[in-house]
Amino acid sequence: MTPTTVGIIGIVALFGLIFFRMPVGYLMAGIGMIGFASIVSFDAALSLMARDVFSVFSSYSLTVIPLFVFMGQIAFHSGISTRLFDAAYKFVGHVPGGLAIATIGACAAFSAICGSTNATAATMGAATLPEMKRYNYKPELATGVVAAGGSLGILIPPSVVFIVYGILTEQSIGKLFIAGLLPGLLLMVLFTAAIRIWTWMRPELGPGGEKASWGEKVRSLSGLVETLVIFAVVMGGLFKGIFTPTEAGGIGAFATLVVALIRRNLDWNGFVQALFETTRITCMILVIVAGATIFSRFMAVTRIPYDIAGWITGFDLAPAAIIFFIILVYFVGGCFIDALALIMLTIPIFFPVVMELGYDPIWFGVVIVLVTQIGVITPPVGVNVYVVSGVARDVPLNTIFRGVIPLLIAMIIATLLLIPFPWIALYLPGLL
Amino acid sequence: MLIGVICGLKRFYVPWKLSVFGILKKGSMISILRINRYISGAAAAVNWIAALAIFLMMMVTTVDVVARFFRISVPGAYETIGFLGALAIAFSLPYTAAQKGHIAVDFLVRRFSRPLRIAVNIFNSAFALVLFALIAFQSYQYAQTMKAAGTVSSTLEMPVYPFVYGVAAGCILLCPVLLMDLVLQFRGVESE
Repeated sequence: MTPTTVGIIGIVALFGLIFFRMPVGYLMAGIGMIGFASIVSFDAALSLMARDVFSVFSSYSLTVIPLFVFMGQIAFHSGISTRLFDAAYKFVGHVPGGLAIATIGACAAFSAICGSTNATAATMGAATLPEMKRYNYKPELATGVVAAGGSLGILIPPSVVFIVYGILTEQSIGKLFIAGLLPGLLLMVLFTAAIRIWTWMRPELGPGGEKASWGEKVRSLSGLVETLVIFAVVMGGLFKGIFTPTEAGGIGAFATLVVALIRRNLDWNGFVQALFETTRITCMILVIVAGATIFSRFMAVTRIPYDIAGWITGFDLAPAAIIFFIILVYFVGGCFIDALALIMLTIPIFFPVVMELGYDPIWFGVVIVLVTQIGVITPPVGVNVYVVSGVARDVPLNTIFRGVIPLLIAMIIATLLLIPFPWIALYLPGLL
Repeated sequence: MLIGVICGLKRFYVPWKLSVFGILKKGSMISILRINRYISGAAAAVNWIAALAIFLMMMVTTVDVVARFFRISVPGAYETIGFLGALAIAFSLPYTAAQKGHIAVDFLVRRFSRPLRIAVNIFNSAFALVLFALIAFQSYQYAQTMKAAGTVSSTLEMPVYPFVYGVAAGCILLCPVLLMDLVLQFRGVESE
């Protein structure tokens, strides 16, 4: 068998077995090892595997992941979300759908210190769903907004998916972070517009609340200040090159911890939960990274990634058609496979193609993150929808999926805007 | 291992009383669940090492950055953080597996019939067990090579091999968790 044949069998086995509940990281490592062994030698595969596992686990550049995850977990366990929501509510609570818009605003602010879509949806769900219920908001609007708002967690820096993408493709994590900012804000505006149109068509979905006085509005801002300060220090230091992404994560986690302790919002139990969740999420991500590393060794000896790049670009297709096809793959794949796992599975194959076509790697990162986030709220594997249904146990899954639709349209519009107007993502990184 | 597989297949065909292997007898079910509890408890206990490592990573980076602000440098912060990272991940392997914390796609398997689902789980657990037994053994050997060669880190000249032993230890400790998964599958206890 030629290395190419072995490689194709490996890819088919990978994408086949992935649907049989095998942990993605284990599967990639296992198939990578077997494939490498059958092309090179069994002994070489075994020793390479041990070296790769140690070098991934002890990699300094990957330690950025646990630190930013920890920062988000402390924020999650310390009630920062409630204060953010209060502030947003004081400003927009009186308009129809105002609580839903406040939720989107609070999600965006919370995203500034939390890099995970699920954690953002879970924490904002716990903070805002009871409020929306109290003001007679219909469950479909309330839950749909929380599930979709979580996707801001991934676009607005810090973002775990950008970190992983940056490491896999050797792009600057700082540039990716800042590139996500404008698209994140654009998405926030589109979400708000979607909610306004939706509640204009069906006012019974989200009746307006009482209007807050200017005094109340100003006072509520104190809840926002600490978050903005942490964000400014962490991201400012990172963009200015004062510290590395890992250091930014460490400082951010420490600052969030200090704020939580000063505010007396974090007890020992919450702290331990935050730490244990961090170890679990970190382990989950790093096992996939290690698996992807071993798998990419196998791919490298088959030379398939280069062949595919040559093969696709050999077609007489317009680059736009190819990019559209790739985006479609992420869109469909995102419906079935976790965003992070999907990106790690496919980047080794698609990234060389995209580079060959001359697209910007930072822009491509933003686009696929946005597209895979659409998958996070669509059936059958809409992780955020499950997270929200875990918080709102009395709301059927179908209702949440229905509530997500208007916001889904907003996300598709955001993606379609990013393709002809790449500067939305590239303007800020260009200033660095 | 092979005996286990044969016994497991028998599980579908023969009544409990006929099964000659102690671990598969009905009376031993409670003790298996108890062993499983011990193993999960041990996994959580080992996870404290990982948790401590992450906390230390945060402290080391913070002290390093703050010290740099006062033009003092903390020697070896870079490599210390990497090594702490290795310990954090290795020692959270058993806990993450026990919590079923790894990303897997299960919408298809959920639609399978129960025996088919169990068969898939058995294959997956066995695959993972073999994989991590191999990684553990190879890491152990890799550590020994490093120890013999006297490999040290670049700034502090710390020996690297203890951390590789750490990774091997994490992988070894993961094996009982995976083995328990396998045993429970044979006993028809489905894990989610």
